Amino acid sequence: MTCPAPLDAALLADYWMALLPEREEEAVELHLLACDVCGERLRESIALIDGLRQLAREGSLHMVVSEAFVRAAAEQGLRVREYAPPPGGGVQCTVTAGDDLLVARLAADIGSAHRVDISICDKHGSEQLRWPDIPVRRGAAGVVFQESMDWAKSAPDHTMILRLVALDEEGDERLLGEYTFNHTRSMPGPAAW
Amino acid sequence: MPISLSDAQLAVRIREGNAREAESELFRRMAPRIRLYGLRHLRDESAASDLVQDVMITALEALREGRLHDPEKLASFVLGICRMTVLELRRGSQRRARLLERFGEDLPAPAPPEPGLDREQLARCVRNLNERERTVIMMSYFDERTGPDVAGFLGLSEANVRVIRHRAVHNLRQCMGAVA
Repeated sequence: MTCPAPLDAALLADYWMALLPEREEEAVELHLLACDVCGERLRESIALIDGLRQLAREGSLHMVVSEAFVRAAAEQGLRVREYAPPPGGGVQCTVTAGDDLLVARLAADIGSAHRVDISICDKHGSEQLRWPDIPVRRGAAGVVFQESMDWAKSAPDHTMILRLVALDEEGDERLLGEYTFNHTRSMPGPAAW
Repeated sequence: MPISLSDAQLAVRIREGNAREAESELFRRMAPRIRLYGLRHLRDESAASDLVQDVMITALEALREGRLHDPEKLASFVLGICRMTVLELRRGSQRRARLLERFGEDLPAPAPPEPGLDREQLARCVRNLNERERTVIMMSYFDERTGPDVAGFLGLSEANVRVIRHRAVHNLRQCMGAVA
């Protein structure tokens, strides 16, 4: 089987998720009704999307999420554990076996920041990891951040400091907020990493 | 042999009559294509199987009666039947019952479910995406937000969101070992 003009896999993913304009959708459907090569590519895209949805339901990814994402997860019956330490403050936190998603609400005035990073620091404030250029809207009142549930469930007692850092076009940094998470293990596991 | 013929040539054979093999071959080719259309629009395996049966019965009947004037436009012809049938399936199941009564014994068993993919590898691949790609793809595919919704949340243009989403899909496919 060959196809002289195979449809792009990302276009097929958009088709599957009803993200295409009507004319583009019609062209894709006409092609698919005559082409088994692209039908197979569509099946691959469907499998990819199903896999991504499963990962999201398992809460095993860290990522910035929307309020709608958190709401949709709860509506799907997932148990969402949320923490919202004030800027400059801290919170005692844990996860249990019944939790599905772990979400931190980081309140901050994002303002007109050119770029925002999340800096992950140890209890002394020393940066261990940085997630650069997180997706935030200018003028937003903060960031909703999902931490990996796999990681949180296996983590021993520890303190983690998250910092939201704004960068201007010259690369100069400005602290938007600092949030301390005092994690207590509530599930069996080693006492330290 | 019908298997070596194009879709359009099969349609011509069927129009010429007494073409049981050509009909079977056309059914074999079109059924999985129509099933995908049905899954996309009806989001239900059973309804998609119903659609395959209804569309193929209608299409074969029309081909036998010579109602497709240009065989090269078979895909367009079938797409039109798919659209009408989806509307009818949504309205009710009466016509389906009538059609199945007439032609049911000719119909094949439903297709088996699609195989899955390596989820651990997919998790690694998703972690390799940048923050923006990961958020866009999860908002689009898990949260089922429209392009304008995602664009509004991130303060980006719709076109930019589409570029990010497509780049993420390509990166994931490449990471998962897809050819292109």
